[in-house]
Amino acid sequence: MTRFRVEGKGRVEHAEPVNFTFDGRTYTGLRGDTVASALLANGVHLIGRSFKYHRPRGTVTAGSEEPNALISTSRGKGRYEPNTRATVQELREGLVAESQNRWPSLNFDIGAVNDKAYMLFSAGFYYKTFMWPKSFWNKVYEPIIRAAAGLGVSPGEEDPDRYSSRYLHTDILVIGAGPAGIAAAKSAAQSGARVTLVDENREIGGALLSDPRVKIDDIGAWDWLSAQLVELEELGVRLMMHTTAIGYYHQNMVGLCEKLTDHLDELPEGAPRERLWRVRAGQVVLAQGALEKPLVFDGNDRPGVMLAGSAQTYLNRYGVRVGDEAVVVTSHDSAWYGAFDLADAGTEITAIVDTRDTPRADLAREAERRGIRLFAGHTVTGTAGRLRVKSVRVNPVRDGRVGAAVTVRCDCLLMCGGWTPSLHLFSHTKGSLKWDESQNAYLPDHRSEACHIAGAGRGLWSFEAALNDGDVAGRAAAEAAGFEISDHARFAVAQDRPGTGVTHKELPTDRDAGKARAFIDFQNDVTAKDIRLAVREGMRSIEHVKRYTTNGMATDQGKMSNINGLMIAADALGEAPPRVGLTTFRPPYTPTTFGAFAGYHRGATFELTRRTTIDSWAEEHGAVFEPVAQWRRAWYFPKVGESMDAAVLRECTATRNSVGIFDASTLGKIEVAGPDAAEFMNRMYTNPWTKLAPGRTRYGLLLGEDGFIRDDGVIGRITDDLFHVTTTTGGAARVLNMMEDYLQTEWPDLTVWLTSMTEHWAVVALNGPNARKVLEPLVEGLDISHDAFPHMSVADCKVSGLPARLFRLSFTGELGFEINVPARHGPTLWKALMEAGAAHDICPYGTEAMHVLRAEKGYIIVGQDTDGTVTPEDAGLNWAIGKKKPDFVGKRSLARPDLVMPGRKQLVGLITENGAKLEEGAQIVLDPNQPKPMKMVGHVTSSYRSAALGHPIAMALIEGGRDLMGDIVHVPLPGVTHRARITDTNFYDPEGARLQV
Amino acid sequence: MTTQKHNDTDRSAVMIRIEELVPQARFSLRVRSERARVLSESLGLALPVRIGSVERKGEVEALCLGPDEWCVLAPDKRRDALIEASRAAYAKIPHAFCDVSDREVVLRLSGPEALTALTTGIARDIESMEVGSAARTAFDTATVILWRDDENSFRMDVWRSFLPHVRALLDLAQAEFAAGL
Amino acid sequence: MLLIHCPYCEETLPEAEFAYAGEAHIDRPADPSALSDEEWRDYLFIRSNVKGPHFERWRHVHGCARFFNAVRDTVSDKFMTTYKAGDPRPDLTAEEAAQ
Repeated sequence: MTRFRVEGKGRVEHAEPVNFTFDGRTYTGLRGDTVASALLANGVHLIGRSFKYHRPRGTVTAGSEEPNALISTSRGKGRYEPNTRATVQELREGLVAESQNRWPSLNFDIGAVNDKAYMLFSAGFYYKTFMWPKSFWNKVYEPIIRAAAGLGVSPGEEDPDRYSSRYLHTDILVIGAGPAGIAAAKSAAQSGARVTLVDENREIGGALLSDPRVKIDDIGAWDWLSAQLVELEELGVRLMMHTTAIGYYHQNMVGLCEKLTDHLDELPEGAPRERLWRVRAGQVVLAQGALEKPLVFDGNDRPGVMLAGSAQTYLNRYGVRVGDEAVVVTSHDSAWYGAFDLADAGTEITAIVDTRDTPRADLAREAERRGIRLFAGHTVTGTAGRLRVKSVRVNPVRDGRVGAAVTVRCDCLLMCGGWTPSLHLFSHTKGSLKWDESQNAYLPDHRSEACHIAGAGRGLWSFEAALNDGDVAGRAAAEAAGFEISDHARFAVAQDRPGTGVTHKELPTDRDAGKARAFIDFQNDVTAKDIRLAVREGMRSIEHVKRYTTNGMATDQGKMSNINGLMIAADALGEAPPRVGLTTFRPPYTPTTFGAFAGYHRGATFELTRRTTIDSWAEEHGAVFEPVAQWRRAWYFPKVGESMDAAVLRECTATRNSVGIFDASTLGKIEVAGPDAAEFMNRMYTNPWTKLAPGRTRYGLLLGEDGFIRDDGVIGRITDDLFHVTTTTGGAARVLNMMEDYLQTEWPDLTVWLTSMTEHWAVVALNGPNARKVLEPLVEGLDISHDAFPHMSVADCKVSGLPARLFRLSFTGELGFEINVPARHGPTLWKALMEAGAAHDICPYGTEAMHVLRAEKGYIIVGQDTDGTVTPEDAGLNWAIGKKKPDFVGKRSLARPDLVMPGRKQLVGLITENGAKLEEGAQIVLDPNQPKPMKMVGHVTSSYRSAALGHPIAMALIEGGRDLMGDIVHVPLPGVTHRARITDTNFYDPEGARLQV
Repeated sequence: MTTQKHNDTDRSAVMIRIEELVPQARFSLRVRSERARVLSESLGLALPVRIGSVERKGEVEALCLGPDEWCVLAPDKRRDALIEASRAAYAKIPHAFCDVSDREVVLRLSGPEALTALTTGIARDIESMEVGSAARTAFDTATVILWRDDENSFRMDVWRSFLPHVRALLDLAQAEFAAGL
Repeated sequence: MLLIHCPYCEETLPEAEFAYAGEAHIDRPADPSALSDEEWRDYLFIRSNVKGPHFERWRHVHGCARFFNAVRDTVSDKFMTTYKAGDPRPDLTAEEAAQ
């Protein structure tokens, strides 16, 4: 039994101890504890050092709003997480926890010297203190600041955990399983709607878990909760615990992060650690309750100072007294109840300090009955104690004047500055808030989404009010979702603990307010003084104050600090709080792992990768792959020990000398079918199609309406009404989309249909002087001799017994065929051709050799030699334009002034004088001796070593390039400037004799 | 409420079965909607008119994918006859009848967690899909056709090259059922 | 992620099935060669870029594959209505009143 555990109390399993370590020391907690509650049970308040000043800090809350108690947790290799909130992390056997931002130890931390120099670190200090010398910033200031400030250390190893994601559709999503949420889920589910109820805690109940004395309809709170669990299940409510609603997006899309394993002693094999849910809800009920505010006074951050409601939670839910001698300081009735519960459990309440002059009479009587000393109309002006609070200064306030202090001994100080409705998610939707003068709080006003707010989230402070409000909200949601609703269930609550309070700016003090260390944002070390300084220095908007001071910008997103910051800023500005406004809350509600957002998209499934049917053959034969658009394609096929350069040269040589085989399946393929097919092709492509005979093919060029090249490919006419269009690998989806766009929206009168055939056909290209010799014996039903089946022909036939569509075309400058077979037969065809080609030393080649071979012929690759600003004229493709056609996509733009201007970049060839291979992307200048910055006239688009030519070749876009044939240009690269001669792009067999065999 | 779940290697097989089906003949049929009925008579098909609805006539299944688009599935032995019927009808009723039998691979997902496994990649509300209906949608970033053949039995037609990615994702989902989470 | 009503499927479906396709009601001129450079420039590049109801095109690319038109409020990011390609601009008074 640990010192501060109350036997038999709380919802923890007293018979089930759980061991863990904190900073290397072993502690024992109980099943059901959080790290924070277990440490508190052991009397440990000091848990970390603060971000900027390295001040000792302790647990201040009992929930996900915790700003101080940040620890790192680990469970074996790679499973390390910094900045875990100790108040949320459930205890598991063997958990290893460490404190953060301290060196050499938590108790003695060198960085605490910052605290003494706090005057230097005031608001905006980054901007002011380290202005000059400028050169010091990178080398001196930033490294020092980075080392000194901060919280946890980033993980250095790859995360071995899996993360999952799912979509979920529900009629009604209820966020928060406190009394309002439970009531809402029940009443909504009774209508027959699909209801989902989520809560970040391990069990339902919310504030009821901290108030077991409450009786609902004559049943004790905790028995009532057990009954609700059964009822919710019977009603078919999907209940999701350990699940935080992290963001509320358009049209009721809510992101949930479910923690699946962080609380488990053992990790199940293959289990994901977290699951991100994308929930689409018809209606949303926000029942997130309210968050307690701290009071702002000097030393309000000392370990042992915590929220009164949290102390009550530790006692009632975890069976932990947070100290032996407590002082309570409050501006709200709620803290009194916590004080009574603690007193009844054996903690001495040395004093209750209420800032209000006349506390509620019944509460005062209860305090008196317990012998608690009462300071009404008092303030606290300071705390003492190095690593734990020892005493508190209490002063009377009369007519705004602060009287003499008395010092009251304590080992914990429980504060309550009232409650803030938790409206973060509502804020995500741009729902507007309205300042409520009586409650000094923002309450929900105009809703922009189909949502309902219930309970403390809209300022209802009693359990009875929350339950009944939840019931109403649940029924309203069900009705709005189109379900028939039942009668209002009326809940009656006994032993309820309603209350009211007032909201303060920083508490008045008899000391120099400028020296008070009165914290507002504990996590970012922002004090009241910082806010006032920001206003003095000219910040008027609350958003500017926030950024200048960093108030509310820490990972807790200002859950505790927002309203206190606003009250003080408003006071400093002399404005009413609603006129100053509130800063925007942004998702996520609580810090969320990158893993949860990434989900399945990591490693092999990082992104979609498409594979051809021949991919596995290539893999078995040692291919090296490269990504091309969504595909992975065989790049080259190195023999053992062969370099890429050597392999590519070998593949090119084999193809030019005998025959090469290439997997061209990734080419986009579209069937254009219908009586108006030729007319459609005439309108889409630059080329004329009317006279192309069935069985013939033509190179097609596609422009955007702006006149720039978008795509190209060989297009075959199969019948009068059917074209087989090929596109670039990367352009397939885009071209089909563009064609559909014109067809559906500009020319719906045309009777034409488009079908993507990319995946239906596997395509094998055979190129080289021996291509026909390899293919011919396999072909049935077609004479493929040069005369019968000339260059640029297409026909259906059988190849190796497979139904095939055969093209005679060439992207290499050699005799070439492309054989299309139904995709399932791709590997069969490939193997048959390899076998048939063995006698001719057939050589598989990859995309790199394909690039070299086509570059030797000056064939462009759209997207490599063009970049979206290249016209047919620029690329030297004017021959592909049907000049007599009245119109085609992009035709009008070819006459735009910019596109006919002289001096446009034109595609030309480049050959270096020294035989060096240029780098693709290298810039080109005319005069290498001109002063910098030099005038760049173009760049290299393609560059390769060429086995056929015996020297490297390149293509480049150069201003007015075709008028500079034979001229020398210069390509400056690091350490060397190459001289290169401008040539034609058709480097190899310019007459095309090799095609006509 | 925290229950420590234990690994059960057999569990996932009971929860969900994923298998690749034997390919059938598949056609993409396109025709102006007002002529769909006449064409369907010529081809001997039943063509539904509402997008997402499926009609069966004998062994031939037709799904309406768009206002002028149908997916027609037939046993392999019917392929040639259907192509012939389409050719014969073309002059009178222009249409496109594309043999795309090798474009997609069909997965069958069945079992109590089949629907859940699909929710790892499909954004639309699968639960509210009617039994006997189908829809073209996206799984992760891949276009698929999802058929709900029964409460817990789905077919998913996936373009061939996307299959390894889709399978890899489904395998990850399946591992979660095995882990009991 | 938005929800979009496809006027062809007559279903409201997640944005993941759709692709944006630019401003709506910009017809390709019947005879582009008859246009002056300025008129052609305007057709190519000049868009309304409104704050408020925006007429725009979407494609149900992972669905029925149809292009259709929509009116989306660029301030709230909410769809006011969707309608088939070729249909005239809808009268927004009813939708605006509903908002």
